[in-house]
Amino acid sequence: MARPAAAHDPDDKPEVPTSAAEHGMARRGKWQGPTYYGRPQLKEAPFENWVVGGYIFLAGLSGGSAVISAIADAAAGREQAGTVRRGRYLAMLAPTLGSLLLIYDLHTPARFYNMLRVAKGTSPMSIGTWLLMAFSGFAGFNAAAQMLSGWQPRWRRLHGLMRAVQVPAAATGAGLATYTAALLAATSTPLWAAAPRALAVRFGSSSIAASAAALSLGERRPRGRRALDTIALAALTTELVATAASHRRYRQAGVAEALDGRSGTAELLGATGLGALLPLGLYAASLALGGRGSRLSSLASVATLAGSLALRISIMGAGDDSANRPEVSFRFASPDNLKRVA
Amino acid sequence: MHPRATQHSRSEFERVIENESELTAGVLIEPGKSYGFFTDTTLCIGCKACEVACKEWNNLPADNLGLTGQSYDNTGALSANTWRHVSFIEKAGPCGVRDNEQAPFQSGWLMMSDVCKHCHNAPCLEACPTGALFRTEFDTVVIQQDICNGCGYCVPACPFGVVDVSTLDGKAHKCTLCYDRLKGGLEPACAKSCPTDSIQFGEIGALQERAHKRVEKLHSIGATTAYLYGTPGAPGATGDLGHLNAFFLLTDRPETYNLPAAPTRASRRVAPSLLSGLAAVAGLALAAAFAFTRRD
Repeated sequence: MARPAAAHDPDDKPEVPTSAAEHGMARRGKWQGPTYYGRPQLKEAPFENWVVGGYIFLAGLSGGSAVISAIADAAAGREQAGTVRRGRYLAMLAPTLGSLLLIYDLHTPARFYNMLRVAKGTSPMSIGTWLLMAFSGFAGFNAAAQMLSGWQPRWRRLHGLMRAVQVPAAATGAGLATYTAALLAATSTPLWAAAPRALAVRFGSSSIAASAAALSLGERRPRGRRALDTIALAALTTELVATAASHRRYRQAGVAEALDGRSGTAELLGATGLGALLPLGLYAASLALGGRGSRLSSLASVATLAGSLALRISIMGAGDDSANRPEVSFRFASPDNLKRVA
Repeated sequence: MHPRATQHSRSEFERVIENESELTAGVLIEPGKSYGFFTDTTLCIGCKACEVACKEWNNLPADNLGLTGQSYDNTGALSANTWRHVSFIEKAGPCGVRDNEQAPFQSGWLMMSDVCKHCHNAPCLEACPTGALFRTEFDTVVIQQDICNGCGYCVPACPFGVVDVSTLDGKAHKCTLCYDRLKGGLEPACAKSCPTDSIQFGEIGALQERAHKRVEKLHSIGATTAYLYGTPGAPGATGDLGHLNAFFLLTDRPETYNLPAAPTRASRRVAPSLLSGLAAVAGLALAAAFAFTRRD
């Protein structure tokens, strides 16, 4: 450390300041060094967790519905017409209610249109704004056309156009279901930033699971239900794997302590236990029972939807906890994490 | 004293002196060059003149009129209304009590005037979805108050916990490096008011050179723990942040001053996150196609 400044070259590795290594900073585990009167080193995001968490849930539900609806139409066509139709309607949740939640969370809501001034690849919030705009157009067209064609037979000629429009709707829907994870990961909030990839897989698979669950609730035919339950089963399995991966990253990066509080408990019990493990078992049992398992399937769907919402809100809260605790943020911003997070 | 200063013998002026910064900071302010602060904490005496000057020039309201009980720091932290914050670290010996025997240099006290770092690759600027945050012609980072819609995304983006959304007007605020003063040829208020030149304003290259010399000097007189925070390759300028336009000379590890040792550039995580999520959804969509076509 006591090196003359003249020997400093921009290509040099960042030097570790005084006694960082001996304080156990470089090792895994708890923060051993000083804090400034225990005051937070970071500021927590000034988001209303229920509002933004609710939007992330709705964005996932809508985006996932557009994806499943498009796949159902392309793969099974008329046979899955009910799921295709319901998926197109469900996709309208984010453009309508979701947009309102986003505007509500602004601290100067009257200026919401300033979001449309620029398009910026470095800002997931800007990426998301334009994804939502594009998705609203495609999903809105499909929902309106679907409604018209059900209303009067002469509008059925729109079917071909709907099949074309559902492709960009599904593509932007996939973005809508996952960009919210990038939005959280591209911050300095330790818990969000510690596992950018695993968090996105979690959000993406939870979105598909929630959409399949919601569509399964509306589907009465056992055959259609079976297909949707199988999708939910695959998505929940993916989510559980991603959950395990993200927790491993949290431990490696030293931010797992942020999950000690209420949000962490909600994440463990609500999002993972009741929201993923339980429905996973129920869906599996329902599929094994065949036609007799429809009640189990409904129960699993409700649990999946609740778990998907709980996942988003608990991750928001746990992120705030991680930003407010200096021992977590200092541990996260220690040099040995540079390779992991940058 | 600058030779031009002799032309101004009185302390009252009818108008702003042209290029006043040349007299007060020894630097001409010209668009297109990079300006910043070098805060030398070994010179800080904790007078808080910078905090007061900042509040006065920028018309910022008070945050807290109470006492925190944390040494002489009753400001607490940088916020929407506090753009300079002097931190006070009382170094305790074992058992939390100060030793009677103290080493001669900065033994029991550390003081540092914290400020927005005006990062070279500023995470707040990269996160801003409205373009309210922009880089000025002086290479500083400023929030345009007539654009900001208070989305608050710049707040968690900042790795130093600087930016804050005001509950008074619903907009994000932080140090502007006195953008208005720079435009008028004036040195920023905090640097001008600093009685010990702990806060030095200037052109980045010159400041860094001066700072390296200062570290060398301190090392030569036995203060071997002195190091720079925020210069290229040093702690604070890690994780692709480039360098910090407001950088510091510290004598203890960064966390002592509530600074992160190795902050990172948040936008580097956008692509990995987005692509992983899309890949997961694409994989599940493929699984869905199989589920819908399965015949049983």
